[in-house]
Amino acid sequence: MIEKRKNILLFGILILALVFFPFLATNYWIRLFTGIFMYGTLAQATNILMGFSGLVPFGNVVFFGIGAYFTGITMLSLGFPFFIALILGGSVCFVFAFVVGHPVLKLKGHYFAIATMGISEAIKQIATNVKITRGGMGLNLPLVPLEVNASYLFFYFLMFSAMILVTIATFWISKNRVGYALRAIMSNEDGAKSIGINTPHYKVLAWAISAFFTGLAGGIFAYWYGYIDPPSVFDIGISVRFIIMILLGGAGTIIGPLLGAFFIELLSETVWSQFLFIHLGVLGAIIVLVVIFMPKGFVWFYRQKFSLEALMENVRKGKL
Amino acid sequence: MEVLLSIKNVSKYFGGLAANKDLSFDIEKGEIIGLIGPNGSGKTTLINVITGNYAADQGSIRFKGHEIVGLKPYTINRLGIARTYQVVQPFVGMSVRENVVAGVLFGRDGKGRKMKAAWEKADEVLELCHMQEKKNEMVENLTIADVKRLEIAKAMATDPDLLLLDEGMAGLNPKEIDDALELITQINKMGITLLVVEHVMKAVMSISQRVVVLHQGLLMAIGTPETIVRDEQVIKAYLGEKYTLRQKNQGEAKRL
Amino acid sequence: MLILQVLINGILIGGLYGCVAVGFSLVWGVSNIINLSHGIFIMLGAYITFWLFTLFHIDPFLSIPISAAILFLVGYLVQKFLLNYVVGYTQQSGFGVFLSLILTFGLARVLENLMVGIWSGDWRSVTTTYSGLSLHLAGVSIPYIRIAVFGVALFSAGLLSIFLYRSRAGMAIRAITFNTVGAQIVGIELDRIYNITFALGAALAGIAGSLVSLIYSFSPFLSTPYLSWAFVIVVMGGLGSIYGAIAGGILLGIIESVASVYVGPGYQQAIGFIILVLLLVFRPQGLFGKKFLK
Repeated sequence: MIEKRKNILLFGILILALVFFPFLATNYWIRLFTGIFMYGTLAQATNILMGFSGLVPFGNVVFFGIGAYFTGITMLSLGFPFFIALILGGSVCFVFAFVVGHPVLKLKGHYFAIATMGISEAIKQIATNVKITRGGMGLNLPLVPLEVNASYLFFYFLMFSAMILVTIATFWISKNRVGYALRAIMSNEDGAKSIGINTPHYKVLAWAISAFFTGLAGGIFAYWYGYIDPPSVFDIGISVRFIIMILLGGAGTIIGPLLGAFFIELLSETVWSQFLFIHLGVLGAIIVLVVIFMPKGFVWFYRQKFSLEALMENVRKGKL
Repeated sequence: MEVLLSIKNVSKYFGGLAANKDLSFDIEKGEIIGLIGPNGSGKTTLINVITGNYAADQGSIRFKGHEIVGLKPYTINRLGIARTYQVVQPFVGMSVRENVVAGVLFGRDGKGRKMKAAWEKADEVLELCHMQEKKNEMVENLTIADVKRLEIAKAMATDPDLLLLDEGMAGLNPKEIDDALELITQINKMGITLLVVEHVMKAVMSISQRVVVLHQGLLMAIGTPETIVRDEQVIKAYLGEKYTLRQKNQGEAKRL
Repeated sequence: MLILQVLINGILIGGLYGCVAVGFSLVWGVSNIINLSHGIFIMLGAYITFWLFTLFHIDPFLSIPISAAILFLVGYLVQKFLLNYVVGYTQQSGFGVFLSLILTFGLARVLENLMVGIWSGDWRSVTTTYSGLSLHLAGVSIPYIRIAVFGVALFSAGLLSIFLYRSRAGMAIRAITFNTVGAQIVGIELDRIYNITFALGAALAGIAGSLVSLIYSFSPFLSTPYLSWAFVIVVMGGLGSIYGAIAGGILLGIIESVASVYVGPGYQQAIGFIILVLLLVFRPQGLFGKKFLK
């Protein structure tokens, strides 16, 4: 119980630090952290589905794009205020996932992953061809009515709030029936059905919730950058990136995806100034190392208290 | 006696093979009914058909008067039928207590339950199954007997009227079998009807009021354990024709 | 007649699609690796043909064996020094299967950037003296190149089929798709077979790439459509089936040809992907019945 209190204290200090940080830092760092919070939100959102049910939605970036475009289009063509457009964007994603989820979540393993990729690519192409999105030329959102420094702070806190919100949602889910349902489904789907769990319903619900938050991040991103086009917001590379973050930090844990996001984004940023392929090479090397030494991610690894025997066991298992 | 589950002309085919062929019998409320038969006779298939994991190709199954063929497993569970699996697969990554809580949350009255009430009910079920000491253990660390007991606890957590046990005694030593039998009897005394599929003859015969025998998908015999044990067809099915013939010949030779 | 032209276009290009899919299907069916670099391998094949043609004036069709050989080597090295470490995981841990997806995705990005470095991102194409010639028959115009491409594509698939069914290595490959443990018991070294399988998949990608260079313009960033076609065809034709890949390819070719005329050229991929998702949901075993390899 002391452990718990210590954890909460630590967490509180961290939050406080992050709240005061932007007032002491340069715009470069504020922008960097806003990006980190965005990936933190994305990773945590997909963690809701992936961490508890074991399904990997490679195409989840589709919600990022839909959220971005929906926010952009409603603001531009219908004059909606930002926050309304944002919530609407997230809700559209929720509904879309709910509807498409019923047939698609019948699929297992990598068939589900591929189907989500297919959906994302299809939507990307449709977005490129349809007039309302301005197609390949991209969409310019209305300008933010704040002066530069204020807008940096605005987006910093907005993304930060999104990340906190989705983390709270993940925490709540893990403690209540949805979390139990998903974990049971991940472990033994037939067994879950036999104790009364309506498995399709819970899988779809988890996906829809993750879609909502992913869409939210997309909408904020659109307003932040001011310009979006299909290849950038429907990029499977974004999905892969946040999935790696989840795996790195520990799927199914609460802080894991956030740690993963921080680590990868900070690393990318420091390495970015070097060559492009080394950047990707380093990323690739990290993946391989993580897989071999920390197959369940940072948090699990830490919980094993760095025992050397556990490490060796993993290596032996890996080299099978 | 009141009929709880009524199976009428149920058939289930896999490709051309009839795993269950035209099965009909009733399960009476409050009884313990055994289901035996050689391997491949269709016992587990029948359980899967009752619980909705497989859809019956023909026939009807009525539970408390309602037709349940065509319903999803989770719906059937919420109506009051629970089952254990032959190959036990508890929910890994969760403790014993969490496994049972899952059953409580989603079983019959699960919908309205708050978490706190769920934890309490789970503890009650664990008491009944004598697993309270192990409640915070992770399921990966349990012995096979405990895992099987947990299967029953999970099923009981859903508040069933009818409990289907699929070969729960396989792999247990005699003491563990006795403990399991005791638990089954206890559960039955609470008013729950049981269908017990077993290969361990001594166990199922000692505990059942009636026994159903399946052979190659067909219902071969149904009756009290005493009559079943003496039934010639059953003996032939289990022990083979040559043996029965030899017994007969030996019997005749002795009489000469 | 328009409809005949559309159909013939579809069938001929479908052969190429089939060739694109065969290597992908083989690797997935045998090693359970979904190679997201497959599209990039195809581009590599296209660039090899391009270079040989512009620098050494080697006829594109003659460059096909060279392209195949180079890609074979590339594939072999990738499997041996990268993927073999991960294959163990694809069979084991919960998320292991996705490692091959992530790794091959990363590899694709690395290769993509390498190719931009060497050849720049500009669009290239291969135009020979005979590129424009067509056969005119019954009111339809059929470019000779497309007929040749169709022929080579089918021939390559045929060669692969013969290899799989008549050679020792081929039999070993087929053995492990059914039963990896059983195959090992009779002395088949899994690693070596995985190496050869991936190499073959890459070689076929190389062939497909060379063929692509003759018909389409290409750039390092244009790998995705080919990869997506491979996906759709594999699901249509059934995993691991060569005939399924070719038949699926031809069917997809026809569908796209018809769609581009009646719906609009920009939606080709979208339609392909929608078909993919619909198939996965409603008929995962493919249009052609059971998958014959695993």
